[in-house]
Amino acid sequence: MDRSEILNLMNTVMTKRGRPTLTDEAQGTREAGFRSLDFSETALRIETRIGRELSFDAASMRRIETVRDVLDFFEDATRAA
Amino acid sequence: MHTTNQSIIVSGGSRGLGLHLTERLLEAGNKVATFARSHTEAMDRLAGTYGDAFYFTPLDAVDAPGVAAFVAEVADRFGAVDSVVNNAAIGQDQLLMHTDLDTLRGIVDVNVIGPTLLTRAAIKHMILQGGGNICNISSICGSRGYAGLSIYAGSKGYLDAMMRALAREVGEAGIFVNSVAPGFFESEMSSVLLPEQLNTIKRRTPSGSLSNDENIFKVVDLVISGTTNMQGQVVFVDGGITT
Repeated sequence: MDRSEILNLMNTVMTKRGRPTLTDEAQGTREAGFRSLDFSETALRIETRIGRELSFDAASMRRIETVRDVLDFFEDATRAA
Repeated sequence: MHTTNQSIIVSGGSRGLGLHLTERLLEAGNKVATFARSHTEAMDRLAGTYGDAFYFTPLDAVDAPGVAAFVAEVADRFGAVDSVVNNAAIGQDQLLMHTDLDTLRGIVDVNVIGPTLLTRAAIKHMILQGGGNICNISSICGSRGYAGLSIYAGSKGYLDAMMRALAREVGEAGIFVNSVAPGFFESEMSSVLLPEQLNTIKRRTPSGSLSNDENIFKVVDLVISGTTNMQGQVVFVDGGITT
């Protein structure tokens, strides 16, 4: 999936939570209010979109600090076989 | 009744406690889906009475793709998956040293892997829809020692432990995860006990009686109602035997 699609799904979750949408990739996820559960919900929405499950450990989620990290993470995860 | 107009999955609803829970939840105006390895006449009866509000399919609880497909089918038919009652289980009446490996694996498969797969599939729908309820039918054996029930007890302790961790994982998403832990109750599982064993249990129970399916239903009904703010708890329905 490309970054814009992933960002759209992230913002779907943010909108659902009543939070401002994400526009700055450099922004910290904590500062942006993008929480771990939002990450999980984004992952589920991506799974639905691509038709397969994503599997990753909690440690890799803990290394994520910025919106860019999230986009990189899902870009890699959806590229992998 | 506390739970109504919900879409509910009850595992192992073809007989015993699962059948009672399924029937009572249907009576209360819920849509109920259930699965079990084998079909029973009761499934035809419920389909005839409740039509599209009831869905049964034969399914092995450890068939991961089958369980995921079942949950997706329920979400599609009923429009949501509001609650899951992890009821399906098999009992044990053997000392561990005399339990063969097939029996051991069978109990772990049905009592541990099965509810984990169902819960995993259901919470994915619940997170996307914005909430739900998971209720594990656990047992007092999960927190008290009873000879002859080691693997069964371990499986029920697992359910309680998983429930607490999961409550932390998904509570923020509006998903409430709890266990209802019956004591010995009048069931096919307790039918293996001798009359004198049942009398001893009753004598040691402060209420003086075993719980029955309806007692357990009343608590499950409350737990999955979404009205209690109860999260990560084990509710004992045992007449006070564990107090």
